[in-house]
Amino acid sequence: MASFPPRVNEKEIVRSRTIGELLAPAAPFDKKCGRENWTVAFAPDGSYFAWSQGHRTVKLVPWSQCLQNFLLHGTKNVTNSSSLRLQRQNSDGGQKNKPREHIIDCGDIVWSLAFGSSVPEKQSRCVNIEWHRFRFGQDQLLLATGLNNGRIKIWDVYTGKLLLNLVDHTEVVRDLTFAPDGSLILVSASRDKTLRVWDLKDDGNMMKVLRGHQNWVYSCAFSPDSSMLCSVGASKAVFLWNMDKYTMIRKLEGHHHDVVACDFSPDGALLATASYDTRVYIWDPHNGDILMEFGHLFPPPTPIFAGGANDRWVRSVSFSHDGLHVASLADDKMVRFWRIDEDYPVQVAPLSNGLCCAFSTDGSVLAAGTHDGSVYFWATPRQVPSLQHLCRMSIRRVMPTQEVQALPIPSKLLEFLSYRV
Amino acid sequence: MDGEKKTYGGCEGPDAVYVKLILSDGHEFIVKKERALTSGTIKAMLSGPGQFAEKEADEVHFREIPSHVLSKVYALCMYFMYKVCYTNSSTEIPEFPVAPEIALELLMAANFLDC
Repeated sequence: MASFPPRVNEKEIVRSRTIGELLAPAAPFDKKCGRENWTVAFAPDGSYFAWSQGHRTVKLVPWSQCLQNFLLHGTKNVTNSSSLRLQRQNSDGGQKNKPREHIIDCGDIVWSLAFGSSVPEKQSRCVNIEWHRFRFGQDQLLLATGLNNGRIKIWDVYTGKLLLNLVDHTEVVRDLTFAPDGSLILVSASRDKTLRVWDLKDDGNMMKVLRGHQNWVYSCAFSPDSSMLCSVGASKAVFLWNMDKYTMIRKLEGHHHDVVACDFSPDGALLATASYDTRVYIWDPHNGDILMEFGHLFPPPTPIFAGGANDRWVRSVSFSHDGLHVASLADDKMVRFWRIDEDYPVQVAPLSNGLCCAFSTDGSVLAAGTHDGSVYFWATPRQVPSLQHLCRMSIRRVMPTQEVQALPIPSKLLEFLSYRV
Repeated sequence: MDGEKKTYGGCEGPDAVYVKLILSDGHEFIVKKERALTSGTIKAMLSGPGQFAEKEADEVHFREIPSHVLSKVYALCMYFMYKVCYTNSSTEIPEFPVAPEIALELLMAANFLDC
């Protein structure tokens, strides 16, 4: 079974340049489970990288220092054992000039991570959740961690302190995402078949439960304008939700197996989903059409084979910030970089036991987490985008497909604007 | 143009450093030729087999583009600079912001100019 379309010569595909790696420290005890790095995340301002090292530990790594280390010391960067320990009583987290490293013991296996930035208005009392005395300051950065027992812990990134403990899910919290508009609305996706919407500015009050999944929810993602949420899960589920009214907009049908990852393009005009059926689909979220299919197994598997243990599960997908590239991670030990207008990868990188991937905030680096808790980093394919694409993104950020179709422009440009070429 | 040929080059001849873009209402833009060649259309107009009269002097007449598109032409020139500066360069490629008010017309111009 081939990994690329028959007309593509695998040897001619460019290999991505490695930037560095963070190797998980050896655990002193039973290594059989709990080591996995299920999610990688970068802070929205690029200041930190959250490294879920396995065994309930998350390390907050100051990103620019980490990059510098990679450049200075070559590609290997083993963690040093004398790193800063979390200081719970230290509340002067005002050291924005030099971000400090923090190691957080989350108390349970960490399945999901998400950064959110805040513009807080007042000191608040937490209701229905564990009480913690805390002070909001300007420019606060939060890290949400979703745990094995269904709890969600919210941490202050600058000080490493625990701020909130959200209790409601009854099963693993498999994914977390903050609304990108700075409102500190957090959405959690759980194996208990629900998604929950939390308002962290209102003491972590749970505002809504989104029901509709018949099985595990694997992942969720906000559209860049925060108006839509995509949730994906077991039994081929892909749902789009209206986040003003919390109603379901539509189901997207097409996958043949569990759908495990989703991501919107930076202009919100495209939605990428990854599935165990060996495929990544690029959808138009405004009308549910499938625009592109990125295959990882050739010839493409029949629906029965795609719906089973086909050894080629796609685990993760991420959209680049230039809106032109997508990265996918599959069980055939490869990371693939795609252009949205080609159906074969433009670059690949070898990776065993990869579980998750994410682009850095400026889009120049891709991070991938693995089964043993390590993280690997590559330089992403970069090129100067065409002016037409830059205009397209500017227009699509504010215009859904239906409005685009009504524009008085030549049909070729309509197709281009609808991402149909 | 003549007096400064030594330092700056001119708009005439095959090795002209600059090229003149002339809009339909007479406004003229003088742009470095290397950057203007980012546009496939301008490149074809300047080097094609006599179909366009622009070959004699390095001028390109845009008879369809009126002056209210000035801001878009400015954006085009900025884009030409951006493209030449960051193509095949190892430095970080910064964002090139396009204001939504001009994006649609700029898209049409960029489509026409194939860039």
